[in-house]
Amino acid sequence: MLNSGLTRRAFIGSGAAAALATRLFAAPDGATTPNPELEKLGAAALREATKLKASYADIRIIRYRQQFLTVRLNPERGTGKILEVPVVSDGGSFGFGVRVIVDGAWGFAASPLVTQEEIARMIGEAVAVARANAAIRSKPLELAPVPVYRTRWQTPHERDPFAVPLEEKLDLIRTAAAEVKKEKGVFSSNCILSFRSEDKYFASSVGSSIQQLNLQTYGMVNATATDFKRGISKSRRYQPQQVTAGYEYVPLMNLVENAQRIRTEVIEHLNAPPVTPGKKDLVLMPSHLWLTIHESIGHSTELDRALGYEANFAGTSFLTTDKMGSLRVGSDLMNIWGDRTTDRGLATTGYDDDGVKATKFPIIEKGIFKHYQTIRDQAHLIGEHESRGCCYADNWASVPFQRMPNVWLEPGKSGTNLEDLISGVEDGILIDGDGSFSIDQQRYNFQFGGDAFWEIKHGKKQGMVSRVAYQSRTTDFWQSLDQIAGPSYWQQWGAPNDGKGEPEQINSVSHGCSPARFRQVNVIQTD
Amino acid sequence: MLTKEQAQKIIAKALSFSTFPECDISLNSSERAFIRFALNDVTTSGFTVEQSLSISSVRDGQSGSTRVDEFDDDALREAVKRSEQLAMIAPPNPERVPPLEKQKYPDFENYAASTAGARNQAMIPHIRAIIDGAKANKLVAAGFFERSAETAAVANKQGNFGYGRATDAGLSATLRNAAGTSSGWASQPAVLIETIDGAAVAKTAIDKCLRWKEPRRLDPGKYTVILEPTATGDLVQMMGFGMQARAAEEGRSFLSKPGGGTMAGEKLFPEFVTLRSDPFNRLYSSLPWGGGGGFGFGGGGGGGGLPAEPITWIENGVVKNLFYDRYWAAKAGKQPTPFPNRLVLEGGGKSLDQLIAGVDRGLLVTRFWYIRVVNPRSMQVTGLTRDGVFLIEQGKLSAPVMNFRFNQSPVEMLKNTVAMGTPIRVRGGEGQGMIAPAMVVKDFSFTSISDAV
Repeated sequence: MLNSGLTRRAFIGSGAAAALATRLFAAPDGATTPNPELEKLGAAALREATKLKASYADIRIIRYRQQFLTVRLNPERGTGKILEVPVVSDGGSFGFGVRVIVDGAWGFAASPLVTQEEIARMIGEAVAVARANAAIRSKPLELAPVPVYRTRWQTPHERDPFAVPLEEKLDLIRTAAAEVKKEKGVFSSNCILSFRSEDKYFASSVGSSIQQLNLQTYGMVNATATDFKRGISKSRRYQPQQVTAGYEYVPLMNLVENAQRIRTEVIEHLNAPPVTPGKKDLVLMPSHLWLTIHESIGHSTELDRALGYEANFAGTSFLTTDKMGSLRVGSDLMNIWGDRTTDRGLATTGYDDDGVKATKFPIIEKGIFKHYQTIRDQAHLIGEHESRGCCYADNWASVPFQRMPNVWLEPGKSGTNLEDLISGVEDGILIDGDGSFSIDQQRYNFQFGGDAFWEIKHGKKQGMVSRVAYQSRTTDFWQSLDQIAGPSYWQQWGAPNDGKGEPEQINSVSHGCSPARFRQVNVIQTD
Repeated sequence: MLTKEQAQKIIAKALSFSTFPECDISLNSSERAFIRFALNDVTTSGFTVEQSLSISSVRDGQSGSTRVDEFDDDALREAVKRSEQLAMIAPPNPERVPPLEKQKYPDFENYAASTAGARNQAMIPHIRAIIDGAKANKLVAAGFFERSAETAAVANKQGNFGYGRATDAGLSATLRNAAGTSSGWASQPAVLIETIDGAAVAKTAIDKCLRWKEPRRLDPGKYTVILEPTATGDLVQMMGFGMQARAAEEGRSFLSKPGGGTMAGEKLFPEFVTLRSDPFNRLYSSLPWGGGGGFGFGGGGGGGGLPAEPITWIENGVVKNLFYDRYWAAKAGKQPTPFPNRLVLEGGGKSLDQLIAGVDRGLLVTRFWYIRVVNPRSMQVTGLTRDGVFLIEQGKLSAPVMNFRFNQSPVEMLKNTVAMGTPIRVRGGEGQGMIAPAMVVKDFSFTSISDAV
């Protein structure tokens, strides 16, 4: 059998241009500064920008790789024989994007041809864009100061996921999918492993030159059960925490063990009675609460939204700038951080796409809104003198703008456990995993489903219920927070596909938390 | 962007490196120019060039896929080799379909050179019209103007080859008052950039914003609603995903019949409901393929790449066709169908004013936002109204109303539709949009109030 060791280096070593990428992004032992060839390309870009009278310029040269492996088990139409359907893909992308400020306006251009000539041509295009826009620019841009860095950074990892043989990965997902399907009542199952790398070089006219490697590792196993007579179909998913890490994280996912659990739970979900709607206490697990934090707090504390930059698409925010430092969002227990340094967080990195070093800062302290997420061209608009390092673009062909850092909720007191939360509930629901989600354009009114729901009666967890969603208002909800489990329960879930901006871009972000209890939330019964 | 000859050359080169019996290729190149504005000022703006080549190699049922955006000989050779290496490791795919034979693609193109060549100078006068309109009314404008052009090719080792070009443009604007207590929105998608009218977009959005002042709080509940065309499109476009024969047969769709089977052939909707896919409608700019699977691209697996063609999904209220990809069609003994996109919901002939005049008490909805599926089986979705809700009393708009959250299936909504206006092309905040009319719907389910503006 062919050795499938298509390592990251071998992969990016293909082709002439790709051979260039291999050289550019190679990581020789002990190197602390970027590859000299990258620095040469960066310097060429900045020289051209200066020649064309740009007051600021930066370039990002990026190589992505994404490996996606999945196996689905389902009955064949007509025979009922179980088929194993695989998808194996492994692709990449390599290109650059340049930003300039000319006559006080931004210009941006991008191309997949990484040569000095094309970089110079695209600097010219970006300058043309900026000049055209300057005609309707009313105020010149202002950038917060940033220190100069010349460095390398990479996601801490022990095992390059792309160096692990495909056979090992396929064996794992085939085993996990088969474990789910061992339960006769399961109609179909599937399991996924996915790995993404982002080799990125950044150079700016400030003088910074930064080379980084960001690595992401994902997995998932899913079960679907169908009752044809009753016309009901339910699923149950195990979504391990999605992380920035190497392959060393995969064994920690325990995909097979969790496959055994969800095959039982999907049948219980299929047969679970519908919830009785009404005001109930909620105990929300980290696998669920991350998304509520993301939508209600993560997005509402983005400065670009609060100022109106997103008004035409994602929306604005109920947290207008006059409320910074004073508005009570939640109960005293609520302490929320913006943090691009947290271990394994999806938004964790060394430096942002403005060249600002990753930071950690308080967003909510004891329930009071304290700080926004900011980038260099917006900090001064709220009287701040430095960026909080939240600039990101999802592709070399995308314009960097303000994106969410990891936004996480501090755990409760040591020793507070999940049972303490449940025992204090007379009539409530425990929710695990995320489901449907929707929130208005100012982040007031939201509705969340979940992946699995258990009734809590008289302080005890009961059997599963189905068709659950809760609706609330952000400040009402967070002010009803009355207990959080301790640090040993703190976990970090997230998503790689947070959408924002026009043209729309995605962002990877994590939201750590411990299980938490919310009082008297409006629970509805869905279809 | 790549010409047909350039595409042919790159594909021929890639195929020359193939050592497997099957090799599917899909090649794309695109250019995009865009301007974003907010706070009555331009914010970000760019010009981007992208290209990519997807390769899927198959031997003995084993399939591997890769993607590159470098097209020199070495890169192509290595990419083909990589897809073959992946295939050798992948387990055989029992749902694989045979490669397409040579296809005859329709000789259809709706490519606008004016759109493909437009840069910021062509877009700025329209943005200026919006910003000037905002300032004249003491409002604050935000919005987005984008034009895109693409060329694409599909090919395989069996000699199939197709090439197509498409262009599109769109301008949208949100006008808010300085206090942030009122908001209006308008949008115009168009294949021909010269038909986009910034002043008209501004007028509609400004008018909405000025009228939607101090909205009243109404109780949530079931209301007769008039959905403006964008609001109709926001919800009906989601039905495309619900038309899959496989999901229906496997009990996962609103078209699943209790006990087994599908609702094909059954009359589920009023007589006047007809939903079609029409890639040749001049309001769209489509590539000449789109049938047979996946999302219309040629690469393996889904078995796509069949010629584009119009198809009717719901005809006079009857479920006429379901979506069959090539694999499921072969299993079911059916012909594969185009994917349900480029949707057109046929309408009646009434103007929006006439529809309003026919409603005694109801709500006029400008558009919806953050729509997500709650139950895929019933297609129940949740979301919110946005940028203008108005009470209708005795055939007239009587008062602005606060936004609502809804929980509603577009399937039930179409069943409860009582009248329709003239269809136009629309694109809301999410999804690709469609060609949709305004419509009057009974018993639309609003479940809570939103404070959002």
